Amino acid sequence: MSSTIAPAPQKLRTRKKITAGSVAKNVSALLIAAVFIFPVYWMFSSSLKPQHEIMTKDPVFFFEPTFENYTTATGVDLFWTYVRNSLTVTVCAVLLALLIALAASFALARIRFKGRKGILLVVMMAQMAPWEVMVIAMYMISRDNDMLNSIPMLTAIYFVMVLPFTIWTLRGFIAAVPVELEEAAQIDGCTRGQAFRKVIFPLLAPGLMSTSIFGFITAWNEFAMILMLNKERESQTLTVWLTQFQTAFGNDWGATMAASTLFALPVLIVFIFVQRKAVGGMTAGAVKG
Amino acid sequence: MKRKLIAAIGVAGMMVSIAACGTDNGGDKGDAGKKSEGGNKTLTVWVMDGSAPDAWMEGVNKEFEAKHPGVKVKVEKQVWNGIQEKVTTALSEDTPPDVLELGNTQTAGYAVTGGLADLTGDKDKLGYADWNKGMVASSELDGKLYSAPWYAANRVVIYDKAAFKKAGVTPPKTRTEWIDGLKKLKASDPKSQAIYLPGQSWYVLAGFIWDEGSDLAVKDGDKWKGNLSSPEAVNAMNFYKELASYSTAPKDKDEATPQQSTDIVPKGGVSSWIGLGWEAGGAIDAIKKAGKTADFGYFPIPGKTADKPGSVFFGGSNLAISERSQNKDLAKEWLALAAGKDQMTKYAQATEGGLLPNSDAAQFKPAAGSFAEAMAASSVSGKITPVTPGWANVETAPNPIKDYMTKVLKGEDAKAAAEAADKVINERINQQ
Amino acid sequence: MTVDSQGTANAAPQDAPGRAAGKSQTPPPAPSGSKEVLQPSRGRRSLPSGLLPYLLVAPALLSMAVLLLYPLIRNVILSFQELNRKEFITRETVWTGFDNYTELLGDSEFWTVVVRSVVFTAVNVFLIMVIGAGIGLLLDRLGKKMRLLLSLALVFAWAMPIVASVTVFRWLFDEQFGVVNWLMRTLGFSGYEQHNWFETGFSTLVICLILLVWGSVPFVALNMYAGLTTIGTELYEAAKMDGASGWRTFWAVVFPNLKPFFMITTFLEIIWIFKAFTQVYAMNLGGPDRASETLPVFAYIEGVGQFHYGVAAAISVLTILMLVALMSFYFRLILKQEDEL
Repeated sequence: MSSTIAPAPQKLRTRKKITAGSVAKNVSALLIAAVFIFPVYWMFSSSLKPQHEIMTKDPVFFFEPTFENYTTATGVDLFWTYVRNSLTVTVCAVLLALLIALAASFALARIRFKGRKGILLVVMMAQMAPWEVMVIAMYMISRDNDMLNSIPMLTAIYFVMVLPFTIWTLRGFIAAVPVELEEAAQIDGCTRGQAFRKVIFPLLAPGLMSTSIFGFITAWNEFAMILMLNKERESQTLTVWLTQFQTAFGNDWGATMAASTLFALPVLIVFIFVQRKAVGGMTAGAVKG
Repeated sequence: MKRKLIAAIGVAGMMVSIAACGTDNGGDKGDAGKKSEGGNKTLTVWVMDGSAPDAWMEGVNKEFEAKHPGVKVKVEKQVWNGIQEKVTTALSEDTPPDVLELGNTQTAGYAVTGGLADLTGDKDKLGYADWNKGMVASSELDGKLYSAPWYAANRVVIYDKAAFKKAGVTPPKTRTEWIDGLKKLKASDPKSQAIYLPGQSWYVLAGFIWDEGSDLAVKDGDKWKGNLSSPEAVNAMNFYKELASYSTAPKDKDEATPQQSTDIVPKGGVSSWIGLGWEAGGAIDAIKKAGKTADFGYFPIPGKTADKPGSVFFGGSNLAISERSQNKDLAKEWLALAAGKDQMTKYAQATEGGLLPNSDAAQFKPAAGSFAEAMAASSVSGKITPVTPGWANVETAPNPIKDYMTKVLKGEDAKAAAEAADKVINERINQQ
Repeated sequence: MTVDSQGTANAAPQDAPGRAAGKSQTPPPAPSGSKEVLQPSRGRRSLPSGLLPYLLVAPALLSMAVLLLYPLIRNVILSFQELNRKEFITRETVWTGFDNYTELLGDSEFWTVVVRSVVFTAVNVFLIMVIGAGIGLLLDRLGKKMRLLLSLALVFAWAMPIVASVTVFRWLFDEQFGVVNWLMRTLGFSGYEQHNWFETGFSTLVICLILLVWGSVPFVALNMYAGLTTIGTELYEAAKMDGASGWRTFWAVVFPNLKPFFMITTFLEIIWIFKAFTQVYAMNLGGPDRASETLPVFAYIEGVGQFHYGVAAAISVLTILMLVALMSFYFRLILKQEDEL
């Protein structure tokens, strides 16, 4: 799968000459990169600063790093419970969404059937759901059905939250796989199911991965629901942990930033892991290999 | 927002939530109302982070569990951020926390919803007679009792002794002396702020309004109406503006953004500021962490005349029982114990006078020159915000009083801006 | 999941025996068995279907019906109730008909917020798309190392938790300790000793805008780049040989090829920005003097903050209706494009 980005290297070689244009390109790339990275850098560097150097009239760029903030952040009661809950909820929701979306998007991308457009419309509209305000309705439903403080309920909600987007993108990826491949396989004697499993699915791997990252980010960052539905600490997630260092006693910015840094890590890891395969996942070039 | 109003002490080791265990199988079966025959019951108590020193809380629960074998007390610490939403939803559930701490400005707002148990019939058991009358006011609504007062605290002026000495200023007793002192401070060190006073410290403004004999809102027939545009309140705002002219603090922020105690004062350049006990403690800690030592003095906010300190907002908390509690009788027992004279005396000791207990008899004698001493001195002028269920609506963001203050400090006409703010207050205060 | 599943009415709308309707094409007898298809055809041929598509779609629709449609209906029901703190706690139901709506629609404040939200969203999405597409194009033209660097920077920005990014942006523009004020001072500008960047609602919204653009561009840029790699080099080369300028190449080659991408992404960004709550609310709590409130912030402050849940529900219903109205032409476009595929 790693050879999917076939056309790229070629393009590179033709452009290797150093021209005024390429200098401008690289300089602007550097500038843009700096702009985008700066807030992230500021979060990270603040997480390594002692408290009194974090907010200063003249910003401190050089300092002796301390890991104290990380100790504070991870030393919180129930930290590992939060980690476990966050991972469980996010991973389950994303996997479930992928599974269900795969079926639906296959139908939507490959089969013409009555009501297909209507369903597409529903999926599109579902993306507009105002989850933040539906919190109250969701809370009342959960309360009346005794589903408060429940990890499965939260998982289910996150699953539906990311489902429309997942269907939508996966459908695009499936549509990008040429029908001919599938048909060829069927001619070679595969059943439709086999054709899907053996031909389409492998080609979809990048699509599945890049889709999952959106779901992952959404579910990982979700805040409003968890705050309302799961009041018991044992059933809360890391998003709650993130804000707990801003207390009435003063804001422990160092710990907040340390927590934020740690919180961002899984997303980064997932992304970097997925990135290589995901980018170019839509490439038609895949067929040529 | 009364999240700023919290204990002076125990700041450091506050993370640990105590699930006070240890059931002393002490033998005697409690004579309490509902005995838990064999069944293991759990009494859930919500307290705000920092309200109760851990050791004290453990003591209360040990005593309680000894009296009521088979009952466990589970203490869950809450943070002020978003607490109103949390309490509101919790009170609507079938198994809400049995006992919960409520800010005194918010209690009436919950009392009127029917979510709190009516404690009027339990006055004697709870020790009503001993309670500080000023504090009880926030626990009552329409003649009924909905909570037990727990603690209160108020703001004082915290000053840097060295800066005051250098400028030749001594703690003032009247507003005139106060302003004179600020002038001298400014002259002696133009680079420092004589006082750090952000534009939206509305509890401070409330004190000035009370000093004028007026109030934030007044009752007009059976409706409430905002009173910021009254001549007295406008005078108060003008005095606030004069004070603020000795500060370069942001005009559109309150004392918590950035946190004056930990983000501003420790950086130096502030000769005096107005704060609570825990803020003073937080600043001292932060200064120590930065490798310096704080040398703070404290004095009550000066009044118009020397015979009485300036009025201050009596921030504090009450303890209430939820109407849907499954263990109401046990909860009442717990409340009687925790808010009773014995435990409150211990409480005052544990907080070293940093918080005022609910009865004068339990008061701790504060050390000379301490924050607690200045606080106790000014507590005679303690007042609370209007007691009406609608007041809580006024305080929620965006708080019209804060916006009003910013406008005036930026040069708008106080009277006109006050009228606009009153309009918003009128709208909100009469809603439930 | 216990929530009752009555709302499944639309799960399998037409159980009509498969045989695709509409403009469906009958499957051409399988094309060449060879795998050297150079120009992959995107044609969708309906293979024999029957009940299969409905079975495949059912789980997705079912779960959306239970966990999305049902709460949504509950939400609409709430919007016809007076549901304040008291009713909420006592679990009382008080019907008020259209009161919440008439009150809102008659409130000039509400309409100010609506206009503000629409303009804010439009400017935001425009900037996001332009900057995002620009960076995407740049990515495509960069050398391998530079590309890696830039995409890493984008990914980092993307992965930063919202709570943290709002905090950091507030710091950067802080009146007393802001890096931006420091930068202005260092660069020799006067008047930035204690400049207040949140002085007005407009300036506050500008900072929210910077934050949102900063946070949304990575998504667009990275996807744009991914999309670009799907355009075969041949097309580029052909355009180049024709002597087309970069600008012309973009409109002649890139844009038409990525039209679906642009449409979907704009669609998503409009929704996301219109609904953005945390970034706008946490920046300055809708201040100063309520001048930076957008619709979701307004809904929160009027409804949830003041415990008027019925009003909050009504605002959310109106928000959805507005979004649907704004988007309807979009829906049509996208569906039409469906036909072309």
